[in-house]
Amino acid sequence: MTDTAVRPPVTTRKKTTTIARTERREAIALVIPATLPILIFSVFPLINGIVLAFTDATLRRNVESNFVAFDNFARLVGDTMFWESFRIGLVWSISVTVLQLVAGMGLALLLNADLRLKGFTRVLALVPWAMPPVVVAIMWKLIYRQTGPLNAIVSAFGGPTNTDWLANFDTALPAVIVVGVWVGMPQTTITLLAGLQQVPMELHEAAQVDGANAWNRFWKISIPSLRPIVAAITSLNFIWNFNSFGLVYVMTEGGPGGRTMLPMLFTYLEAFKSKHLGYAAAMGLVLVVFVLILMSFYLWSQFRKDKD
Amino acid sequence: MNKRTSQLLALVGVGALALTACTSTGGSTTPEASPGEAVSSAAPPAEKVDLTFQSLSDQPGAIAATEAVVKKWNAENPMVQVKIVPAGWDGVYDKLVTQFAGGAAPDIIHYEAASVIPFALDGYLADMTPYISEDMKSDVNQGIWDSVTVNDQIIAVPTELQSYMVFANTKMLKSAGITVPTGDTLKWDDFRAMAKQATTGGQFGLGWGLKSPTATFMSLGLGNGGVYFDGEGDTAKVVIGDGELKLPNEIMAMNTEDKSLEPSTLTQSGGDVLAGFYAGKYAMTVQGSYQAANIAKDAPEGFEWAVLPALEGTKSAAQSANPQTLSVNIDSKSVEQSAAFVNYFASAENLAALNTADALIPASKAARDLIAEQTGGKDGWTEILASGDHLEAAPFMKVPNYTQWKDTVATPAFQTFLAGQSDADGLSKALTDGWTQINR
Repeated sequence: MTDTAVRPPVTTRKKTTTIARTERREAIALVIPATLPILIFSVFPLINGIVLAFTDATLRRNVESNFVAFDNFARLVGDTMFWESFRIGLVWSISVTVLQLVAGMGLALLLNADLRLKGFTRVLALVPWAMPPVVVAIMWKLIYRQTGPLNAIVSAFGGPTNTDWLANFDTALPAVIVVGVWVGMPQTTITLLAGLQQVPMELHEAAQVDGANAWNRFWKISIPSLRPIVAAITSLNFIWNFNSFGLVYVMTEGGPGGRTMLPMLFTYLEAFKSKHLGYAAAMGLVLVVFVLILMSFYLWSQFRKDKD
Repeated sequence: MNKRTSQLLALVGVGALALTACTSTGGSTTPEASPGEAVSSAAPPAEKVDLTFQSLSDQPGAIAATEAVVKKWNAENPMVQVKIVPAGWDGVYDKLVTQFAGGAAPDIIHYEAASVIPFALDGYLADMTPYISEDMKSDVNQGIWDSVTVNDQIIAVPTELQSYMVFANTKMLKSAGITVPTGDTLKWDDFRAMAKQATTGGQFGLGWGLKSPTATFMSLGLGNGGVYFDGEGDTAKVVIGDGELKLPNEIMAMNTEDKSLEPSTLTQSGGDVLAGFYAGKYAMTVQGSYQAANIAKDAPEGFEWAVLPALEGTKSAAQSANPQTLSVNIDSKSVEQSAAFVNYFASAENLAALNTADALIPASKAARDLIAEQTGGKDGWTEILASGDHLEAAPFMKVPNYTQWKDTVATPAFQTFLAGQSDADGLSKALTDGWTQINR
């Protein structure tokens, strides 16, 4: 469409086509170095993974894998353990994403306010981001320990002294969710802070003159202008959280009693403990498709609102 | 338009070429290693051979003992040099899976019988039968050989074994009016009564770290006739009866009826429980026998302790033999030399030194006698070595999906049971249903 719109007049056609051809050749030469890594490191593994999902591949020695069509998926339908982990994964990713947004918004508003030591507190808010997930997980394991600081605080307020937060069936999932929120907050905060700074001061001033209080200004000015950013960061957060692995793997390995068995953990166990590569690939594919559907629905509804 | 298509095609072609290049380097081209004819000691090779030995030893003493053996071997065999690659027990199963799949596994592999058998079933381990010396064969009892035999092939040489032992704070037992038991075995009911009697004023009779309970139940369950599995290989079934449920039920009874078991220890690891044991929170604790080395080293000054005789269930004092093992990678460039090193490693002196450092029970009788002689039976060695006579191969080890069942079904089910969130019926249902689910 755009091609025809900018097509030059007929008289100079021959000359420009040669130019266009050289340009095109140059473009291709420039694009190939960027495309090759994508093909090799992203597209190929993706296709490989999709193909694997339709085979009975295992990690046995010198075993040829066979094409089994939809057998893996048929088996997956009746796999109650997988669907249970799917449910846990949804609880985990939805609560972490929502809490991240709420807490990140609060922190962003605070950091956006003209307070003293602004530069220092902004750097401080980034600290969780600077730590590798495994270090974060080990640190929180120490906090949640029976003899750890959390129990000391709880018992100082008269609570029980020896809750084993990560081993207790009722507290394990909430406990890892808190860590998930903590570790993911910097991204959300920084993105929202950047968004808040884009909101023109004039709007706030005008509203203030019209007698709008802080709450109204936040709700009527900040939130609507932030909508595309909120939509982007929540959908990214959701994908990251749904696929999260390292944090929970180090903290609980899916325990106790499978209470924190996120779908990615379950898939990992299926692939590298049970060595059912094909079946695990099918699980991965289901997860990808699920996230895609959910995301397209969410983004579609968000941007439809924007158009209105 | 045509040009554009052809250019696009060219692009796709380049991509496809890159992809094929990728796949062709992905497959391993290691030649099939043949087991070779029976040899007791391998002749030195024509060319110098370098072997890698992935060792999991984590106690400083055991690391030193392993290094000493390797150093001696390297001095005696200039043509076959062994290099230790240290690894940790945590996550080593996953590591081996990827190492084997990627064709990067070491020549000599240190692991444990129950976990290494799946690799043998997948065809990754060499048959050691022709390489094992006659002395070694007769000096290790058949129950232990059974635990490392897959399809009539010995796929690993057993080196160190552990049993579950009761460690007692003798001062606390005495002050509760209990005489420290002696003899060959300790009956479970007597043990339970002792724990109840030792529970006084804020102190518990027993602390038992059952964070990862499956191995304990599989092993001590044998004494009650609890074998959990019927059959071998892919047709094995999980069977839960009175024998299997006896031990979990007894532990819950100690927790809820007798109140002699410190409840929070049930969610801790054995090592965590030791801290409370030193602090006098409980008079006894059930631990892997190897903890004797840690207690001897770490216990506070003046701490009086003893290892009690092996626990005896309703049927016997049997526990499962799940030895640490040395196996040889079937794709190793020199299976024969690797096997020769394993044989060397498993000599009585070497095993005695290693097991003394780890406080484990050597697989061979000669090494056991050597330790009894060297230690004079101190630090619980008499009881620990005696428990070695009760070790047997357990059915669960011959079940390929055991590890998966253990991780995804049994451990959660036992944890749920011990947390009081399910009863014995719920436990047996979870264990059997989980097995069906895995084997669909």
